[in-house]
Amino acid sequence: MRELELYFGPQHLGMVGNFSITLKVEGDRILEATANPGYLHRGFEKLMEYRTWIQNFPMVCRINVIEPDSMEMVYAMAVEKLAKIEVPERANYIRAIVLELARVGSHLFGLWAYANMLGFDTVAQWAMYHRDLVLDLFEELVGGRVYHIYIWPGGVRRDFPEGFKDKIVTTLHAIGGCVPDYDATFFENRLFYERAKGIGKVTREEAKEMGATGQVLRATGMKYDIRKVEPYAAYDKVPWEVPTREDGDAFSRIWIVRDEMIESVHMIFKLLDKMPEGEVYNRIPNPFKWNIPKGEAYVRVESSRGELGLYLVSNGEDKPYRVHFRTPSYPHGLTVLEKALKNASIADVGNTMISLYVVAPEIDR
Amino acid sequence: MQSAKLKINKGSIFNPFKAIRFLFKKPKTLRYPFESKEPALRYRGFHLNDWDKCTGCGNCADICPNEAITMVEIPEIKPKPEEGIKNERPQLDYGRCCFCGLCVDICPPGCLRLSRDYFHIHFDTDTFVFIPKDEKTDEEHFLPEEKYSILQASLAHRKKDNEGFTSDLGYSLFEPERVPMPQVSPEERKLSFIEQVIGYSKEEAKKEASRCLECKLCEEACPAHLKISDYIRAIYEDKSDESLRKIFEDNPIPSICGRVCMKYCEEACSLSIRGEAVAVRWLKRFVADSIEDYKATLELKPAKPTGKQIAVIGAGPGGLSVAYFLRLKGHEVTVFDSLPGGGGMMRIGPPLYRLPLEAIDKDVNYLSSLGVEFKFSTTVGKDIRFEDIQKDYDAVYLGIGTTSSRSTRVKNTDKAVLALPFLSENKIGRQFKVGKEIIVIGGGNVAMDVAREALRLQHMQYPGEKVITKTVSLEDWNELPATEEEIEDGKAEGIQLNPAWGPKEVKLDETGEVKGLLCMKVKSVFDEQGRFSPTFYEEKEMFLEGDMVIEAIGQGADFSFLPENLMKKLEFTERRKVKVDEHGETSIPKVFAGGDIVNLNLDAVTAIADAKVAAEGIDKLLG
Amino acid sequence: MNQSLKEKLESIFSDIEVTIPEDDRLIITAPKDAVLSILSLLKGKGYEHLALISCVDWIEEKEFELVYILSAYMQKEDEYTDKEKTNITLKTRISRGKPECITVIPVFENAEPYERELHELYGIHFEGHPRLLPLFLEREYKIPPFRKDFDTREYVKEVFDEIPFVEDKVGQK
Repeated sequence: MRELELYFGPQHLGMVGNFSITLKVEGDRILEATANPGYLHRGFEKLMEYRTWIQNFPMVCRINVIEPDSMEMVYAMAVEKLAKIEVPERANYIRAIVLELARVGSHLFGLWAYANMLGFDTVAQWAMYHRDLVLDLFEELVGGRVYHIYIWPGGVRRDFPEGFKDKIVTTLHAIGGCVPDYDATFFENRLFYERAKGIGKVTREEAKEMGATGQVLRATGMKYDIRKVEPYAAYDKVPWEVPTREDGDAFSRIWIVRDEMIESVHMIFKLLDKMPEGEVYNRIPNPFKWNIPKGEAYVRVESSRGELGLYLVSNGEDKPYRVHFRTPSYPHGLTVLEKALKNASIADVGNTMISLYVVAPEIDR
Repeated sequence: MQSAKLKINKGSIFNPFKAIRFLFKKPKTLRYPFESKEPALRYRGFHLNDWDKCTGCGNCADICPNEAITMVEIPEIKPKPEEGIKNERPQLDYGRCCFCGLCVDICPPGCLRLSRDYFHIHFDTDTFVFIPKDEKTDEEHFLPEEKYSILQASLAHRKKDNEGFTSDLGYSLFEPERVPMPQVSPEERKLSFIEQVIGYSKEEAKKEASRCLECKLCEEACPAHLKISDYIRAIYEDKSDESLRKIFEDNPIPSICGRVCMKYCEEACSLSIRGEAVAVRWLKRFVADSIEDYKATLELKPAKPTGKQIAVIGAGPGGLSVAYFLRLKGHEVTVFDSLPGGGGMMRIGPPLYRLPLEAIDKDVNYLSSLGVEFKFSTTVGKDIRFEDIQKDYDAVYLGIGTTSSRSTRVKNTDKAVLALPFLSENKIGRQFKVGKEIIVIGGGNVAMDVAREALRLQHMQYPGEKVITKTVSLEDWNELPATEEEIEDGKAEGIQLNPAWGPKEVKLDETGEVKGLLCMKVKSVFDEQGRFSPTFYEEKEMFLEGDMVIEAIGQGADFSFLPENLMKKLEFTERRKVKVDEHGETSIPKVFAGGDIVNLNLDAVTAIADAKVAAEGIDKLLG
Repeated sequence: MNQSLKEKLESIFSDIEVTIPEDDRLIITAPKDAVLSILSLLKGKGYEHLALISCVDWIEEKEFELVYILSAYMQKEDEYTDKEKTNITLKTRISRGKPECITVIPVFENAEPYERELHELYGIHFEGHPRLLPLFLEREYKIPPFRKDFDTREYVKEVFDEIPFVEDKVGQK
């Protein structure tokens, strides 16, 4: 049969985000897939070298539009480590709560993308609506819906407004109350099983070899989660579980997304119960005179997609010398994806890509 | 929750039919614009700026990560440098703004805020560049609820009272509180002339220096325009020597000024609006104190000798400065002063607990090491004739200051003591014998100096006994001319203040000794034109007991050294000040003047500013 | 545990420096020839997760510093140990004038895009890399854009200041 080269994306319906894949196909079978990122390369890491430590805050969150809070967190942690800034206990709890809310919001967005791609429009609309409820919470807390610029060195930018705890609880109950509906229409829908089972299968050995983290790895049964491995914020203060699955395919990965959301909601309730009173911010030095001592740090957090790391180098100046984000989508979108698409059928490209939970801006940075 | 050995639920194709009931539910989508959602209370929308509070400091423009803010000059605003107000206001470019709110968190007055408006649709891209105001100064574009329509919403059609993300001092990006200055306690310091202010340690100075936002409002407020933000940055960077060099560009007497400056800079400091000003004066003092040897650090050398000779009369701050600036230009400078050392009024005025003699000599000795010749204990007009100086030198600078104390001239004031002789004797002569109950007349800084010094003398001369010092001033509490700091320190030491009382008569006992002061209640101090013209309620009297009265109501200049023909030539302004042109030259050719006889501020740093002008003028004159 | 790893590494490789700046962090500085063997040794020790390959341009010292960050995956099924907490940073300096290094793809498969990125953004040549093709960028640059001597503002000025405003073209303004 004739070999063809096929361009998949960036304007393909099955492709979410600014990303494309070049496929070499023979009939319906993919011989070779080449990931083609760069549509959203803004050179953030270079731009950050031109801005002061604090001026970079409004910038880092833009690297991943879907879940900006983990980006803020990892940058704040690295700066705190280099500048030796302590964070008040209450701020640690607030950070964990905000990060978990962000995870729920991000997963709902991911669910929208996946369901939409499979043609489950109803579920997609629900997920989008519920994500909007989470964004309403963020708007109330930080004044912005998408880019929060909330977690920053020394703690968080403002304390909870009055009655915010109750609002979180009400909103999460509203979303959680719909889990049976989601299950009925999507997760326990035979069509989902048929479409997702065995798609984009990655074994544990392959996943390890390719540097996978997050759902991709947990779908192969490994309970690898930075929140447990190297706890930060308040993740070691309350008990919680790491959901895993065994098969390493799209079906397992999307189920983990569902289970993680439920676990996150339970965790937020526990954190809210245990949250202490007190300060939420230790004042950082005057931003115009803030030089951070020479040094380097690698810090990592578990974003909703896997290990999000930051290698930050300071040369003793008021600006970073080198910033390099290790984003989870990077290995997933460039290494795992190419491998998983080999011998797959064209119809499964979007399915594989979105179930790997790849966010293109995160790769491009 | 889910165990690792989870059994997979394959589900059924009939499950989704459960969702059919949603067909009969009300949709969640808002029917915009008929239904709209209120933005949250902290919403980060378009900017609001309270123009009355904004100082134009430009911190918002400096911190903006996107360079969306530029400071633009507003011609209709009158700049007030002495209050730290510029006529610039921030202009936003909404093509660049990312609504992060860093500008709000850095804004020292808290005038820049974000509103809950977020609509602006326009064909003209220029409308996205915008100078924010708020409903206080712009009623045209900020509309009440009933006039507002969401269909017209834009930058020019906004809701009134729609504040969103605002500044909160607890989370501000600047530190509103000053590093406290270690001081000797009032109980301890009133017993001796020990210096009250101990001075910052290196760490404290660095920490205090780190608060400065470098908006430079202070530099415009400072009469001598010192490069304040530069020398503070140098302290922060641990480079005291660099800092001293920066100070010496404009001020050759940091050790003196670091203790007694009137600190116009701190009045203008943008941090002082909602917090405490950066301690500029104490930081200058820290630099001057931390460097032992100015000469080795500064490495300043006079320029090539010009052969010109300049005489400076008066070794006060103005005289010292003019000598320094001219000496650096290569001229030969001789300074005459009747006192045995340098400093002029600084030597005799500020009490030892504020300005020790060593601090003065440190500055003066450095100038003399540069080659300035000092002729101390030489009174012009007595030891040397002014005409001879005029003949022998190419130019003369008059920095004579106001050296004669005025009297209230009420009955029996011949029995009272005048402020300057009192202060001067105590500082550089023998100590005055004081009474147990002293009354000081006056409400200015000199009066506070006199009172606080008198209190110390009382404690030293009558240890353990009950002693009282009180002041009487025409001005009421809210208009006392003394600085708040002096009043607070004085009150802490036990000085009793009696504002709004005027002296009527010094009462004597049978032996002719002072037994008290009869006062009358003040009606008003100034007349309608704002001129000094006190009126009294003659019938409302108060008698203050006391065995000593000191008058500290102000000083005048003493021109008796000038020969009559020159005195006639010397022109004065309406406010009895020596008239000088823009180069500091008086109506007598080649005679320049500055300091208290010229300006109305009557302080050291203004004298330095005058000296700078005159030094340029003299240098230009001599070519 | 990290201490024993440090001793082990120092006994095998003579010209490397190992520091432990804090618990759970290990920094190895090694010459570039030793990189591949150190990485495979560490991989054999259980540090199987290559999290990141980065590069720092020390322009004043005329050197690039390649940074490899490693950590370990789960050692046990249900228990978290200190080993997963440990991050190992391997650093090696290469000359800025002739930036070359051997690829580590034989040891870590996922090094492929990282090395490709560094090749594109810093101009480093990785010996033995199968496809050193552009990854993100769409045009050629005189200086690889992430190097310190590439000034973004100057570049923007040079490239975009020459492009007239749309309004100017249609003559509206």
